[in-house]
Amino acid sequence: MKKIGRLCVITDTSVQKKYSHYEITKMAIKGGADVIQLRDKSLPTGELIETAIKIKKLCSKHKVLFIINDRVDIALISKADGVHLGKQDISIKDTRKLLGKNKIIGGTAHSLKEAIKREKEGADYIGFGHIYPTESKLKKAKPKGINYLKRVVKKVKIPVLAIGGINQVNIKDVICTGVHGAAVIGAVVKSTSPVKAVKKLRNAIYE
Amino acid sequence: MLITDRKLCIGKSLINVIKKSARSGVKAVQLREKDLTSKELLALARKIKKIRGIKLIINNRLDIALLSGAYGVHSPEKGIHAKHAKKLVPTKVGNYYNLIVGKSIHSLNQAIRVEKDGYDYLIFGPVFKTPSKIKYGPLQGLEKLKNVCQSVSIPVYAVGGINPQRAKKCIQAGAYGVAVIRAILKSKNIAGTIKEFKTAIGSL
Repeated sequence: MKKIGRLCVITDTSVQKKYSHYEITKMAIKGGADVIQLRDKSLPTGELIETAIKIKKLCSKHKVLFIINDRVDIALISKADGVHLGKQDISIKDTRKLLGKNKIIGGTAHSLKEAIKREKEGADYIGFGHIYPTESKLKKAKPKGINYLKRVVKKVKIPVLAIGGINQVNIKDVICTGVHGAAVIGAVVKSTSPVKAVKKLRNAIYE
Repeated sequence: MLITDRKLCIGKSLINVIKKSARSGVKAVQLREKDLTSKELLALARKIKKIRGIKLIINNRLDIALLSGAYGVHSPEKGIHAKHAKKLVPTKVGNYYNLIVGKSIHSLNQAIRVEKDGYDYLIFGPVFKTPSKIKYGPLQGLEKLKNVCQSVSIPVYAVGGINPQRAKKCIQAGAYGVAVIRAILKSKNIAGTIKEFKTAIGSL
């Protein structure tokens, strides 16, 4: 099984405009994040590639995993460690053809059934959520909650990263489920002190 | 080259329009559907790839181009750089070695740079007034098209408000070909329209 970090910070410039992807990455690494996921659905491809290459350099230097959301081509070009695929993205099977077996492929799941399906399809980890209410995405579905997360963690063998509304307070409950780790957006990028926020999240996970 | 915009295909499917275009002699189709998800885009690209006689070029998405077995990838103004695309192509992914990379440009300076950068063809425009390309800045006109064609040795496709008569003028100005959107997608008689293009510019 591939080694997946336990604290993933997703760089997001749609829920806030204060920090760029690169700035978020710098702060996240300083605070102790294990994984950086670059997510941007609107930046022109050329700029996204430049951003990805810069972030990859920084991540390599600090031995932090670098994952790109959706764009397999940009992962190839920037030599990222892997991609994270939502349900609207290219299939895991097709992505493997391009990335090979050594790169990390993560898949989103919103239910136990989907989580099992993702595992069967060959995902290296699952992003499961959302656990708590969140503003990062417009979600119509209800939050899954801690108990459901527990069931998912029990049923799948690959690492599960819990996502959605996770913050410095509730992360302890999340980790108690036996989940591998957590992915955060708002708790970091909307914090008055992102570095401190990451540190606290990290401490809660590794405590 | 036909550039797609499925929202312009009223009352008919994009696939059928491309099939008809291929049958009528259009040589290349550039799949440009920015609002589709990656999954939907790949599915559509694979469908188009099955159509005989027409080369598939994917706008802006090298991953989709590789996975669909496309002939090339087209880079919009702020898109992928040729060096990145070319570096990836001769890798492990089977027989995609000949993937060509094109670029959209809007000035003579860009044209010269793009040729140096290693792109295989370029699309220049808007040569004429068009609703599709309004956001791409001022009209370039035939004189500028001529300058571009004389200054680079890679094929130049003219784009923007192209109809059969204008296509003829573009070819006379030195263009290798024309890229059309509305003229075909909105045509009520696709075969007829393409025939007019053929008559105007000799061959497609």
